[in-house]
Amino acid sequence: MRKKKNGSLVTRRDFIKGAAMGALGIALYGKEKQLFAASGGQFEPVAAGNPQSTVVLIRNEKAVGAGDRIDAAVVREMIDTALAEFSGEKDAAKAWARFIKPDDTVGVKFTRCEWMRVHTEQPVIDAIIKRVGEVGVSKDRIFAQDGGLPVTKCTALINVPSVKVHTLTGIAVSLKNYINFSAQPSKYHALSANLGEIFLLPEVKGKTRLIVVDMLRPYFGPGPQINPLHRWNYCGIMVATDPVAVDTVCLKICQAKRNLFKGEEWPLSPPPDSIYSADKNYKLGTSDPARIKLVKLGWEKDILL
Amino acid sequence: MRNKWAGKAAAVSLILSAGLLLLAGRFLAGGFHMFDREKIISPFPLLKLLPGEIAGWTASVEDQVFDRDNIFDYMDGAGENYLAFDFQLLFVREYAKPDSPSIVVEIYQMGSSGDAFGVFTQDTDGEEVDCGQDAIYAAGLLRFWKDTVFVRILADKETPEAKSAVMKIGGAIAAAIPGVGKRPQLISVLPAEGLKSKSLRYFHTLISLNVHYYLVNANILNLSPETQVAMARYQKDGSQAYLLLVGYRSAERAYDAYGRFVEMFLLERFVPDVQVQPKKLENGKFAGIVRKGQYLIIVLDADTESLLEWLVKQASMNL
Repeated sequence: MRKKKNGSLVTRRDFIKGAAMGALGIALYGKEKQLFAASGGQFEPVAAGNPQSTVVLIRNEKAVGAGDRIDAAVVREMIDTALAEFSGEKDAAKAWARFIKPDDTVGVKFTRCEWMRVHTEQPVIDAIIKRVGEVGVSKDRIFAQDGGLPVTKCTALINVPSVKVHTLTGIAVSLKNYINFSAQPSKYHALSANLGEIFLLPEVKGKTRLIVVDMLRPYFGPGPQINPLHRWNYCGIMVATDPVAVDTVCLKICQAKRNLFKGEEWPLSPPPDSIYSADKNYKLGTSDPARIKLVKLGWEKDILL
Repeated sequence: MRNKWAGKAAAVSLILSAGLLLLAGRFLAGGFHMFDREKIISPFPLLKLLPGEIAGWTASVEDQVFDRDNIFDYMDGAGENYLAFDFQLLFVREYAKPDSPSIVVEIYQMGSSGDAFGVFTQDTDGEEVDCGQDAIYAAGLLRFWKDTVFVRILADKETPEAKSAVMKIGGAIAAAIPGVGKRPQLISVLPAEGLKSKSLRYFHTLISLNVHYYLVNANILNLSPETQVAMARYQKDGSQAYLLLVGYRSAERAYDAYGRFVEMFLLERFVPDVQVQPKKLENGKFAGIVRKGQYLIIVLDADTESLLEWLVKQASMNL
C-alpha cells in the first residue's frame, strides 16, 4: 500500500482515478480531523487562488414554516446579514455595492427544475433582485433566469443555486448551476469532472461576483427523482465568492445528513469529482477544508458541521 | 442459468406493444409533434382506466407522453437513469384540487417486467405498502411496479387526504394492469440469509452501479444494456458486505471482465486459470471475485474474510 504525503493511505479508487479526488476524497470519505479553518477574526472576500476562502453560513429556524412555507422577510434578513458579515459592510446597500455596480447588467442564475422540484426558492431570488435594483441597476438590466439567461449580455453574475445530491454528478450546487451556460450540458453529466470548465467559457469567465446558496430545503437522496423523505429543512443561506469552497461545504453537510438518515455511512455516489477538479485543474477556488474559513451565524441546531 | 427474465406476454403487454409499434410508425412517418396528441396517446390502454376524478382531484393540465427520444424534455439531467433500462414510454397526468396539493402520476412502460422491477429497486426508502407487485410509500410518494409497468405518484405535499388519493389512484392503476411480471431470475441467486431486503438492486449499466456503489471511474466490469446486475448488502454475525452478481451474454465476456477487475481493482496480476484470492484493501475490508461460467460473483467491503467466502459459496451454489 502507498502512503500519501499527509500520511493518509491511497485508496483503490484514488489509484484508478489518478489525481482525481485526492485530498477531497480523504476529507469527505475518511475520518478527517479538522474540517474547516476556525472562523472568527477579520477577513476579506477572496477570489479563487487566494490562500483562504471565506464562506458565510447563516441559519434561521423561522425561515421555513408550517407546510414548508418560506418566510420571505426572514430570508431577506438572512441574506442581508450574511452579506454584511461577508463584506464587512454593516449597511446592506453598501454591502451589495461592493459586488454590483449601477452600470452592470446582472444575471441572477438560479435553479429551476420542474420535475425534480428542488428549486431555488422564489423569496431568495426576489430578495437578490430587490437589492441589485437598489444598487442602481435598472430592471431591464437584471436577468433572473435558469435556462436561457443571456449570459453574453451580462457583465456580472450572481450564482444562486439550490442544493441537491445528484445521481450523475454527485452533487449539484454552484458548479452544477452553470451547466446550462454550456451549449452541450449533457456532456457534463456522465463524468462530471469537467464542470469547472464552464466557468472559463469566454462569456462566463470572471463575471461571477457573488454566490448565494439556497440551503433552506436541500435534498440528500439518491434520486434521480425526488423522494420527499430525502429532503429536510436546513433553513440556511450561504454566501461566498468561491464556488469550490461553497460546494465543498455543501457536500459535507449533505454527506453528514445521509449518514444520519441511514444510521451508518451512506457514501455519496458517484463522488463529485467536479469539486476537486474545479480546484486543481481549473483553479476556481479551494476544496481543501483547511483553507476554507467557515463563518457560522444564527441557528446552530443540527448544523452538521 | 440462462438470462431469460422477460415477463409473460400478458394481454395488456400485447396491447401496449401494439401501441408502441403504432407510435414508432408515427415517428417514422414524420415526427411526434405533427400528429394529433390524442391519437398518439390513445394506444396506451391504461389511460382509459385512469380516473378523470378521484376524491375531488381532477386532471388539471393536458396529459403528456414521452419516449426514449424526448424523455429529457420531461426530466432534463436525469433521463439517463431511465435510458439505462429498457424504458419505452412515459405517461404523465397531473391532478389538482382547490386548496390541496397537486398530484402527479407517472406511468413508465418498460420493455420487460425485469426492468420495471429494476427501476423500482433504485430507491427503496419508505414504508412497504400493498399495491401492484411491490410498493413503497414515503411522505406523499407512492412507487410500485406490476408486470412491465413502473408507476410513480407524488403529492406535492403530504396531507391525510392527499395520501388517501395517492393510494386510490395507485390502486386503480394496479387493478387496470391484469398481468403479473416475473422478477429477474438473477435475483434468486442472491443468498436469502443475511440479505438486507431494502438494499436489493437490479440494473444493467455503469450509471446505475455508480449511484449505489462507486467502484472506479471506468467501466472495468464491461457493464452494458446486455448485462444484468443483482446487488445487495448483507449482514451476518455482526459483519457486513456487498454482493454483486453480474450476468453476461457469454462466458468469454465474463472472463474478460474478471481479468479487468483483478488487474484494475484488486491490483493483482491476472493469471489465466488461477483463481485470485480475496484481498484485504486499504480500508481494512475484503474484496474478492469468482467467475462461474457467464457470471461473476463479486464481494466488496466485507468486514471479514469469512463473510466474503460464505457469500461466494452460497451464490455459487445457487447458480
